[in-house]
Amino acid sequence: MITLKEALSKTPQEISEIRDQIMATAKANDLNAYIGFETADDGIPILMKDNIQVKDWSVTSGSKILQGYIAPYNATVVEKMQEKGFVPFGRANMDEFAMGSTTESSYYGITKNPHDTSRVPGGSSGGSAAAVAAGLAIAALGSDTGGSVRQPAAYCGVVGFKPTYGRVSRYGLAAYASSLDQIGTITQTVEDAAILYDAIKGHDPKDSTSAEFEIEDIANNLDIDRTLTIAVIDNYISEADDDIQKAYAFAVEKLKEAGHTIIHKEMTNTKYDIATYYIVATAEAATNLARFDGIRYGRQAENVKNLQELYFKSRSEGFGEEVKRRILLGNFVLSSGYYDAYYLKAQKVRHLIQDEFNVIFDEADMILSPVAPSVAPKIGTSSDPLEMYKSDMYTIAINLAGLPALSLPIMKNDDGMPIGLQLIGKAFNDKVVFDAAASLERAVKYKSN
Amino acid sequence: MHIDHTILEKLEKLSHLQVAESKKTEIIKQLSEIVNYIENLNELDTDHLDASFSTLEGGTPMRDDIVATSPKVGKNILSHAPRHEDGFFVVPAIIE
Repeated sequence: MITLKEALSKTPQEISEIRDQIMATAKANDLNAYIGFETADDGIPILMKDNIQVKDWSVTSGSKILQGYIAPYNATVVEKMQEKGFVPFGRANMDEFAMGSTTESSYYGITKNPHDTSRVPGGSSGGSAAAVAAGLAIAALGSDTGGSVRQPAAYCGVVGFKPTYGRVSRYGLAAYASSLDQIGTITQTVEDAAILYDAIKGHDPKDSTSAEFEIEDIANNLDIDRTLTIAVIDNYISEADDDIQKAYAFAVEKLKEAGHTIIHKEMTNTKYDIATYYIVATAEAATNLARFDGIRYGRQAENVKNLQELYFKSRSEGFGEEVKRRILLGNFVLSSGYYDAYYLKAQKVRHLIQDEFNVIFDEADMILSPVAPSVAPKIGTSSDPLEMYKSDMYTIAINLAGLPALSLPIMKNDDGMPIGLQLIGKAFNDKVVFDAAASLERAVKYKSN
Repeated sequence: MHIDHTILEKLEKLSHLQVAESKKTEIIKQLSEIVNYIENLNELDTDHLDASFSTLEGGTPMRDDIVATSPKVGKNILSHAPRHEDGFFVVPAIIE
């Protein structure tokens, strides 16, 4: 598949032919990465996660409850993309309401990992990552609330970028946990990630958490030879599988060879990040998903006697197991008698997590971290919810602190499964993350085949 | 903390969700395990910390109260709603 960079130099006629080819290949493919083949205007096609509003498309967040819903407007990212000649093209599978790490909780069934179809592609943006990895999309958009762009990118051997919170408008992104959600990019290369991020970023008055900042062209100003101080978190690595540790050691060597300075740091046990995340995210999810009542949009339960029954039946039939579990948990941590002990406690701990990053960033420009403790697991092996939550150990603190991070493929293990690592930057230093990632990408020479 | 049937019943009510009878034991076990795990935060001293948190400087901005959404959006949503009539959503009778 051509890169986004290459697509930019193609004629409209050539792009039109590429679109036809992608459509035919995607329809014939059985990974289940695409769950819809909607198109919009002519232009360079970008695959959309099924939770980003594209006007007049069925957009369902991978859920039964949104069957029948038609998006009445474009997300801000769609408007911005179109100004640059990138257009929405197809809907990518995802975990229902972006709640999951495997894309197994989708109403549309599982998506398979193109490197080994007995394994998951990761999640929740699993369709986006699998499609880019399998050559079924030039590039894709996803959303990252606790790692949902970076982790599937790592499992599928592609590049996943989660911007600083506030850099990309959330207007038109179906809300899961509003203080953590960011739309991100899934691409074949770091440069492509910069091109797509440049296209979608910017202040948006329609999103009250959108930050005001000077727009800088990152893609055309990548400083690949810049040398940086990069922190490695020694106590994090010991908790990962041997494969991941090997890739980590390899990346550290390559960064040193490229002239970067490596410093060694420790961070608090990730169990606190996991606990904080699953309180904050579920509390916000319970609130955000209260709007799905079966009346205003999506699917309505039939044969009900009264309004109460309509609510209960529409929601009980419409939401899947994992979404229900998170709504129940969210309402628990927010409920009278438990609110202070759980929800407020977690909000306070977010300060500690942010402070800990800031201390490291006093000395380092960047942190190198694993994305997940293992390569992509086998389909059907992530059935214990708490164990699945624990596998998010390396990605969720970044969302809790609102930082930018980019996951890129480093090497493959003996089974041919990709291993990705992430570079984490200071808030609003997204450009530096791209500089470091471009340098690491050049140094490791990862080959997808 | 153990989630029992009484708490689950309260959570179902708050969540407008019904957990199938056959699933109740399993969900109680799962929620209890998760709640026990997240209680690890009690190991951290947070007495001196603010309970509000934002990664954005200056908090939420104020803006003039001007309608910024196209009126077509409302009509569009209504036209795709499960049931609607005369510009309203239709729901089962509330008063018999």
